[in-house]
Amino acid sequence: METLIDFFTGTLGLGPTLALSLAYATAIGSLLGFITVYAMFAIWMERKVAAHIQQRFGPMEVGGWHGWAQSPADALKLMFKEDIIPSGANKVLFWIAPAIVFCGVLAGFIAIPFAAGVQIVDIDLGVFFIIAIASIEVIGVIMAGWSSNSKYSLFGAVREAAQVVSYELPSATALLAPILVVGSFKLGDFNTYQAEHGWIIFSNPFMWIALLVYFIASLAGCKRAPFDLPEAESELVSGFHTEYSGMRFSFFGLEEFVSMLLVSAITCTLFLGGYTLPFNFLDVANLAAPFHLLGVAVLIVKIFAVIFVQMWLRWTLPRMRVDQVMTMGYKYLLPWALFAVAGTAVWHVWMEG
Amino acid sequence: MSDTRMMDVEVAEDRHSEAMMINMGPQHPSTHGVLRLVLELDGEEVVSCDPDVGFLHRAKEKVGETFSLHKFIPYTDRLDYLAPLSNNVAYALSAEKLMGISCPPRAQAIRVICHELSRISAHLLGLGAYAMDLGAMTIFLWTFRERETIYSLIERICGARFTTSYTRIGGVERDLPEDFWPLLQAFVKEMPGRVDEYEGMLSRNKIWIQRTQGVGVITKEQALQYGLTGPNLRASGVEYDVRKAHPYLGYENYEFDVPIGTEGDCYDRYLCRIMEMRESVKILDQVLNTIPDGPVINREGDAELKSVLPDKQAVLTNMEALIHQFMVGTTDFNMPEGEVYFSAENPKGELGFYIRSEGGFKPTRLRIRGPSFANLQVLTELVPGHMVSDVMAILGSIDFVMGECDR
Repeated sequence: METLIDFFTGTLGLGPTLALSLAYATAIGSLLGFITVYAMFAIWMERKVAAHIQQRFGPMEVGGWHGWAQSPADALKLMFKEDIIPSGANKVLFWIAPAIVFCGVLAGFIAIPFAAGVQIVDIDLGVFFIIAIASIEVIGVIMAGWSSNSKYSLFGAVREAAQVVSYELPSATALLAPILVVGSFKLGDFNTYQAEHGWIIFSNPFMWIALLVYFIASLAGCKRAPFDLPEAESELVSGFHTEYSGMRFSFFGLEEFVSMLLVSAITCTLFLGGYTLPFNFLDVANLAAPFHLLGVAVLIVKIFAVIFVQMWLRWTLPRMRVDQVMTMGYKYLLPWALFAVAGTAVWHVWMEG
Repeated sequence: MSDTRMMDVEVAEDRHSEAMMINMGPQHPSTHGVLRLVLELDGEEVVSCDPDVGFLHRAKEKVGETFSLHKFIPYTDRLDYLAPLSNNVAYALSAEKLMGISCPPRAQAIRVICHELSRISAHLLGLGAYAMDLGAMTIFLWTFRERETIYSLIERICGARFTTSYTRIGGVERDLPEDFWPLLQAFVKEMPGRVDEYEGMLSRNKIWIQRTQGVGVITKEQALQYGLTGPNLRASGVEYDVRKAHPYLGYENYEFDVPIGTEGDCYDRYLCRIMEMRESVKILDQVLNTIPDGPVINREGDAELKSVLPDKQAVLTNMEALIHQFMVGTTDFNMPEGEVYFSAENPKGELGFYIRSEGGFKPTRLRIRGPSFANLQVLTELVPGHMVSDVMAILGSIDFVMGECDR
């Protein structure tokens, strides 16, 4: 951010307020661009991963090479589709629900460090800011489900509310373990710590439990299989977005992929070394000016590894039942998360005297 | 936009909480066609379930009364449309029972192949759709890989993949081509490994077990009372398989086991189908080794009735045969008086045909006992008390086909 502001004030000679606004606009604009491209790629990747697991090819025609243009083509199609609002729907809520869902997740990205200096704001309580802001999504989902005036939609929305709220407990608790190790909530600090001390996942054995708990809980948070009850297509047709069509519908789809990116980014930053390389054999963060951007590539590779596991699970496992999801959250994940936190605390007090 | 229309919640008076009526189907993704369930829900729990069938009613039985026995064969394809060959076989056997014609040994063996291939195919689809209803979509596409092989085999058998109409009264339409045998051999060799793959994905999968074990338990008594047949009955622990109880087509000569469940829950029904596929492969293997040579249609058996179609080559060269063909195809043959009931062990259960004839060309009554219809009756008692998600498990495990239920 500072570099951008300097660029606008120094090189272009703009006033500080204008420079600040322009810097933020540029940053958020590039973030949006990145997310759009990512989402298209992730959708294509999801279809390819699913296809190969299912012994198919997936998209092969559009664009030539392995159907790479399938997602842009689909996006174009969705944009031109008629925006249908059911006659019994509450129009205002129906209209803004997809925006709220999408904004909530998008806002989480302002605290994610993509590389040294490539971070919009390094918030003091970064980790909890992301958890808190990402849960705004639930409000949007409930609005969508309620305003659709469909029983299936309402069912999906209620399931989503119950599920996401329950799984925030284990996921937030599990994140306390790396926070204990680093001693900070700032996401930037995790990267500097891991560049010095190695990846947090290797800092103590309890961290593996924390990672596993967080990963499972984050799957539930993203409504990914086996926790895709809110949109269980074989039960609730498509859950809360049954009545949506066109671009509004695509926002819900987009939101799922973007929140996958968000939770994977958190997983990578907090457990898997962020943008640092294994054993820090190349100190990416301190490379000369343009090369420190290599960190972005490192982080993206790690993120896609995590996303691949999420996709792999989705196309392998059956869906859980709503009571089993709750049992798992409260009776298994939460105690294990607490155990991991306690274990980490004891380990570090014991090891470091 | 009016708030009063937001939710049309119907309140059941004898309950504390508000019950929600929900229409599941006939256009719901997991009601396998056009079954409509009127569910009364209390939160996630189902209070009552009222299956509404008949959306696919095509008056098959009535159609059967306006045709001669031969002309009804194509209509049987559309009963259980996942196992058309099996329906053909069951119908041909019923008609033969009425006409008093026997079927030559080679045709019998071919019919066994038809029966078992369609059993595997139907069970594969049942398993795939069942898994997909519970969210495991990959299994569905994996089973379609093997179904594709089976459809290619069926294409070799009779030229059509789906609407087969392969059997004729007194035998089958034509002999199997030479290149069918190596294909079947390869399939028999490959299939057990494929079944292992499905089992590897599901049988010990914790989520699958949680979703199916103890869900939708049909007791032995219930199963008998509701007249369940097929894997659904056997999963409840009743050892009844038409192939063993009243052997037909020489099933007594083949060695195979009838898998029996113990609990009668969704998991047992799944396991029963898996094991039946393995048994079917065993039967196919035995047929491959023992199939006799000879004619595939019994033309000598009905010299008097002239109900069996003549040899096509003879039709083209012989006047008598041409007239015979013309008579069978247009004015039809006179049937003996009487009534018969014959049932065969189809993939979904016992498919029975009751044919009553008072002479003449057409049967006076043709009643079809579709196993899916009987199997679905149990829903009213089975579903209440379960959760909405369990309804999918139960529907998937009962494995019905609306074409046969509504007829």
